[in-house]
Amino acid sequence: MTLRTYIVRRLLVLVPTLFLITLIIFVLIRLAPGDPVTILIYSSRKQPSPEIIEALKKELGLDQPIPMQYLLWLGKLLRGDLGYSYVSFQPVSEMIAIRIGRTLELMLVAEVVSVGLAVVLGVICAVKHHSLTDAVFSLGALIGYSIPSFWIGLMALLVFSLRLGLLPSFGVQTKGVSFSLFGLWFDHLKHLILPAAVLIIGYIAYLFRLVRSSMLEVLRQDYILTARAKGLKERIVIYKHALRNALLPVVTYEGYSIGFLLGGAAIVETVFSWPGLGKFAVDLALRRDYPPLMALSVVIALMVLLGNLCADIAYAIVDPRIRYD
Amino acid sequence: MVSRLSVELKEETKEVHRPSKASRLYVTLRKLKKSRLALVGSAITLLAITFALLAPVIAPHNPQQMFYGEEMLPPSSKFLFGTDTGGRDVFSWVIWGARVSLYVGFAAVAIELLIGCSIGMIAGYFGGITDEILMRLTDIVTNFPELLLLVLAVSVFKATSIHIIVLVMGLLGWPFMARVVRSEFLSIRETTFVEAARSMGAGSWRIILRHILPNILSTIIVLVTIDIPSYIFWESALTFLGFGDPLSPSWGVLIDRGTSYLTAAWWITAFPGLALFFTSLGFNLFGDGLRDALDVKTSV
Repeated sequence: MTLRTYIVRRLLVLVPTLFLITLIIFVLIRLAPGDPVTILIYSSRKQPSPEIIEALKKELGLDQPIPMQYLLWLGKLLRGDLGYSYVSFQPVSEMIAIRIGRTLELMLVAEVVSVGLAVVLGVICAVKHHSLTDAVFSLGALIGYSIPSFWIGLMALLVFSLRLGLLPSFGVQTKGVSFSLFGLWFDHLKHLILPAAVLIIGYIAYLFRLVRSSMLEVLRQDYILTARAKGLKERIVIYKHALRNALLPVVTYEGYSIGFLLGGAAIVETVFSWPGLGKFAVDLALRRDYPPLMALSVVIALMVLLGNLCADIAYAIVDPRIRYD
Repeated sequence: MVSRLSVELKEETKEVHRPSKASRLYVTLRKLKKSRLALVGSAITLLAITFALLAPVIAPHNPQQMFYGEEMLPPSSKFLFGTDTGGRDVFSWVIWGARVSLYVGFAAVAIELLIGCSIGMIAGYFGGITDEILMRLTDIVTNFPELLLLVLAVSVFKATSIHIIVLVMGLLGWPFMARVVRSEFLSIRETTFVEAARSMGAGSWRIILRHILPNILSTIIVLVTIDIPSYIFWESALTFLGFGDPLSPSWGVLIDRGTSYLTAAWWITAFPGLALFFTSLGFNLFGDGLRDALDVKTSV
């Protein structure tokens, strides 16, 4: 199979997957207790007349049979109409737009710091295999990997914010204080440290293990032996010959990491009241505000799917040995 | 589920020449013994399992018992981990919590095993169109955003039950297991001993279950070991987000109970979290050691 057929095939899998996910999301939420009209009425103060209820049902398409409702919803989604909240009556696309940046910011910081540190440490530990440094960092990674992120988040909150008062405990900006431009930026940075650090702990532990084991495997190969036998400097052997190949799985993993980071972000955002998509989704589910939740679920699913797709394609491109089936 | 990402299978043919069962066990044990970390891991794991099994014997107090006038006490000799807002012993809660949390891990893994192994075995052994269909299905489920679907699935039920959480986690968690089992089956089904069994008239299912499956048990055991803590994690994270089963006091539920009293009584949150952390570390250390000892070909 050529690369092109592989990509086409991978895209073809994407369509039924997305279809199935929208179906699952729709069915799950339709199963949920409380129909939209009741929720809508609940949030208004006066008890509306039956005519208004009927009109509402008609407007929302709830008088249609369920499969029809699904198709109507899907059609709206495809046209980019995400609907509006039954609680705040804001358009969902607007609600998502103001939050997505916050989540991406958190993910980007976690990504950059984790990749940078994980590659450096992973290479050092692989080169000094079986040394004390290697043992310490490997155990450290296993520990980082085993720490429940929300718990360490709570503990960090307790120690650094509530007890020591070093860092703010919630939000993205201190309210009610006027700052200079630099002060504003610095204040935001202080808010960012704890959530980012918690998100990084689990991620870096995983990435470090990936880099280290991948590097170890590459260093064992014959071409490295050849490079050394040629009399190349060790630095060149490691950074020019070995690292390039060792980074292949790391590069491709970045795509898969979107789902991982989004899940982690939901938890971290909830701990630190960070106004991003993850916390938004959790709040919507708790409030049973379903239209935005459905739309947001599809958006998140799409982000994860596209990330996975990029990862698969990147993997096929950079590593020709991959068997496409 | 996270750990499933962490183990990437090397799709290479495995050497299938293996020593007999008894000596294999012996070699494994000897290798495991050499790794001190793996030993520590297995000790922690065994301790957690003992707590879970013998909770009524080990716990110093009945976790439900309220000691009036002794609410929110810090750790002391009477209450090792302090008391909660209702004057209940946190240490006893943590020990009983092992039961719920380990149940979550083992039950979810059992579902994963059942689905993942069956699909992997059938796809790998029969190949062809069956393989194609099953693997496309696996692709689809792999692509599901897990936490999101968990939250949705759990939030639609009025009363959350721990069993539903376990079921949903198992239903979402099997694809990696299926892939690994399939690729092992692909390589082993071509070996001479399978051919020999077939030539003697053994049926497909006999070959699958009696000849091939025992050869990949080590791989499965390693996967199971590192998946158990990740299920325990997911359940506790879900609880923290507000979608847990408050009536099943897992470590996640216990941590969640203390979050409102973080400054006043840190011990209510801290100790169940430590239990969760050490158990997860135990399983991971043990799984790592076991993987090396059994020489299972998985990277990371």
